Amino acid sequence: MIDSSRIRNFCIVAHIDHGKSTLADRLLELTHAVAERDMRAQYLDKMDLERERGITIKAQAVRLSYQSGGRTHELNLIDTPGHVDFTYEVSRSLAACEGAVLLVDAAQGIEAQTLANFHLARDAGLTIIPVLNKIDLPAADPDRVARELGELVGWSPAEVLRVSAKTGEGVTGLLETVIERVSPPEGAREAPLRAMIFDSSFDPYRGVVAYVRVHDGVLPSRAKIRLMAANLDSEAEEAGIFAPEATPVPDLGAGEVGYLVTGLKDVHQVKVGDTITLAGKKRAREPLPGYREPKPMVWSGLYPAEGGDYGDLRDALDRLKLSDSAMQYEPETSQALGFGFRCGFLGLLHMEIVKERLEREFDLELIATAPNVEFHVVRGEEITVVHNPSEMPQPGTYDLVREPVVLATVITPSEYLGPVLELCQSRRGEMVDIKYLSPERAEVHYRLPLAEIIFDFFDQLKSRTRGYASLDYEHWGYEKADLVRVDVLLHGEAVDAFSSVVPRDKAYQYGRQMVERLRELIPRQLFDVAIQATIGSRIIARETVKAKRKDVLAKCYGGDITRKRKLLEQQKKGKARLRRVGKVDVPQEAFIAALRLDRRPGVKS
Amino acid sequence: MNAGIYVHVPFCLTRCGYCDFNAYAGLDHLRSRYVAALIREAELVSREWAGEEFVSVFLGGGTPTTLEPADLEALLEGLRDRLAVTPDAEVTIEANPDTLDAAKLEGLLKAGFSRLSMGAQSFDSKVLEALERIHRPDGVRRAFREARAAGYANVSLDLIYGADGETLDSWELSVREAIDLGPEHVSAYALTIEPSTPLGRKIGAGLVSAPDPDVQADMFFLACRLLGEAGYRHYEVSNWAKPGFECVHNLGYWERRPYVGLGAGAHGFRGNRRSWNVRPPEEYLVRVESGMSPVGGEERLKPSDAFLEEVFLRLRLLEGIPASWVEGGRAEPLLETGLLEDHEGALAPTDRGMLLLNELVLALTS
Repeated sequence: MIDSSRIRNFCIVAHIDHGKSTLADRLLELTHAVAERDMRAQYLDKMDLERERGITIKAQAVRLSYQSGGRTHELNLIDTPGHVDFTYEVSRSLAACEGAVLLVDAAQGIEAQTLANFHLARDAGLTIIPVLNKIDLPAADPDRVARELGELVGWSPAEVLRVSAKTGEGVTGLLETVIERVSPPEGAREAPLRAMIFDSSFDPYRGVVAYVRVHDGVLPSRAKIRLMAANLDSEAEEAGIFAPEATPVPDLGAGEVGYLVTGLKDVHQVKVGDTITLAGKKRAREPLPGYREPKPMVWSGLYPAEGGDYGDLRDALDRLKLSDSAMQYEPETSQALGFGFRCGFLGLLHMEIVKERLEREFDLELIATAPNVEFHVVRGEEITVVHNPSEMPQPGTYDLVREPVVLATVITPSEYLGPVLELCQSRRGEMVDIKYLSPERAEVHYRLPLAEIIFDFFDQLKSRTRGYASLDYEHWGYEKADLVRVDVLLHGEAVDAFSSVVPRDKAYQYGRQMVERLRELIPRQLFDVAIQATIGSRIIARETVKAKRKDVLAKCYGGDITRKRKLLEQQKKGKARLRRVGKVDVPQEAFIAALRLDRRPGVKS
Repeated sequence: MNAGIYVHVPFCLTRCGYCDFNAYAGLDHLRSRYVAALIREAELVSREWAGEEFVSVFLGGGTPTTLEPADLEALLEGLRDRLAVTPDAEVTIEANPDTLDAAKLEGLLKAGFSRLSMGAQSFDSKVLEALERIHRPDGVRRAFREARAAGYANVSLDLIYGADGETLDSWELSVREAIDLGPEHVSAYALTIEPSTPLGRKIGAGLVSAPDPDVQADMFFLACRLLGEAGYRHYEVSNWAKPGFECVHNLGYWERRPYVGLGAGAHGFRGNRRSWNVRPPEEYLVRVESGMSPVGGEERLKPSDAFLEEVFLRLRLLEGIPASWVEGGRAEPLLETGLLEDHEGALAPTDRGMLLLNELVLALTS
């Protein structure tokens, strides 16, 4: 048992690609946490998916032993995600720490996520250590970025640390600074146990594993524990630390970070943010404060491409939920797509990652409907929350609709300010202010409907600024908006998967675009198929897929028969995958292509 | 069981832009070796096909009439010596108008080729140009008259519709010209584009327009009407005949009668086996000359394969299929929409149904 004065709990926060995972690798090496032969790049990003995308989606806690001033220190490094979607995960990691390394690329400078993470860390009361990374790059401009960063954090530019995570330069100095500046954890070993769950995973043999930070008391390896919010007792089987592989320990004391094999098997019982205490008389009276429930902001329907895989999809979502507590899902039925789930995500990237993990780790083939935000439909005193555009009530049946609005921060080179403002303006944005970080770099704040951001805002921003602008946003609230539901009818039948809620003044454009694209995608049938876009009972756009008249093979003689038969067999298989909407057969591919459309009105993709 | 013999002749004067058959220009030096090899192949298969009666012989290509009448006569004799061809068998040879003259026609008839299938394709020189055919409309008329003069009493004309630039009017003219010549049989094919052909590549590159299936549908119905009015029976999707002049050999394919295929790339069928010879003429020659079988591949049909074939082949014919072959309920929507007709217990395709045959087969079998 180490004296808690020699423990430091810290994390690294950074904008994407500023080198956080590489720095973590150097720290592992420097503290000999990983044998040289076992070392691999981005060691902590365990999942394949993370490594390929170069981002971290799951917080990891790893214990490093470090000698300084003749004493051994226990450094718990909590790796955090860097993307805007995962602000919530960052906040959970922060609550387990006393200090944060704010890492900034010495060539790129401060970016939107740097600011967002800085504010989160400062609000959580952490000691912030500003660090420039990539000082070995020829393009690095450490003096300029040190000035920017020092000013942000309130350190003199000379105090700002300079490292190269790639070469290891300056990394020892960073560790010394962490020990010097970051406070050791407080909390009494004698007090009743209170440990915060900040993440979890599921092991097929051992059940639910919780990642915990012990705030008070001692968590023994085997103990009868109580989950305070869940109001549930369990026999914990093992406590341990990540060093960096899971290693059992006799107990975890106040200030320590580690894992607990909870003895629970049901993924939904172990909630991130819950406080673990001991069961029985020694239990704590009050749970720990500070965590908030993650709130999905983007919704999409996920359907198995093969109808029979519905049960598999449900099992996969149950499993995924354990390591991704932010995701929500509820069963839903679409007459066009069959049985599936309406899923809530933190953002678009989160949605893509979940879909990819479901397809890759669980071998499912999925159809995702176009993403949408949550709408609040107000009728007198009553507010209905709508997650699926096809459930949006018809105009005239409610008083007003509110949609989520975000406060967006864009940092851009000043020369691209014009195009950035133009983009925000065209997306129903409302300017808050513009600041200059330096004459060359501007910080723009806009209030924007989230619905506008989740389409292709980020891509547009990047293409208008040659990739130099960065974006972050925080939720502002719900505001009244003039929105209407546009439905798409095939041969008179509404296709629920194609319904969308759009600003009234862009509804016509949207409807026109949708029917034109569908005309290209829907194969000719034996009868004329009308494709209509409607608002309520009013038709705003129409196209027709003319009836098919000829499909016969003109010549079918001795040498053609085998080929023709094989072709027919393939077509029979294709027919089995058709989705039937009323009388119209729509190939799955057409559905997928139509749902992949940029569904923001008025923009051709 | 009323089998057929198909003989493939892979030689052509030139290659046409739309053609994806196993045919080659410039291999003329192989002709006499090739004829000998065909007879040798007949010898090789004769034991396997012993006991089978052949009611038809069909020389296709390529352009079989690039061979000399003397060679063709020897070939036919060689076949008759080795395979049991009935005395009154239908013996057809495909011909391009350019390869025909009075002497050749007389020679062919004397050699025993009593049915002539002539590739007219169109009577509009612009369309012939678009198809990269080297003959001109006049050549067709001349060759047809010479065939009659030589004594041919069973002549078929092939037409192709839907080439780039062909209008409905131009097509009507071609059909009327064909009718005016008075052949016993007419085949009218919608131009089909194979991506691997020169025409397919031009279309892929956007240099030529692809056939419009709706225009081709109009052309099909026009042909149905004009030929019907002129007394031709629409007995198969792309084939019309005066009563009694339906092509015995081709009917064999759609009725799933057995056939032996001789020559490079030729297909054969018997029982549950379909097989095909190697395609390159040189390889074919080397194999046969060394006494080896030229078969390059084969497949064994499962009962379900055979059933699917029966359905999609027989539905090409006016007579259709017995209603008892189709699961209950599947035919009704097709009868109601006029794609099928009930012919005393048989489900027969209408003209509209023939044009949507793919859809019909899928609806009836899946």
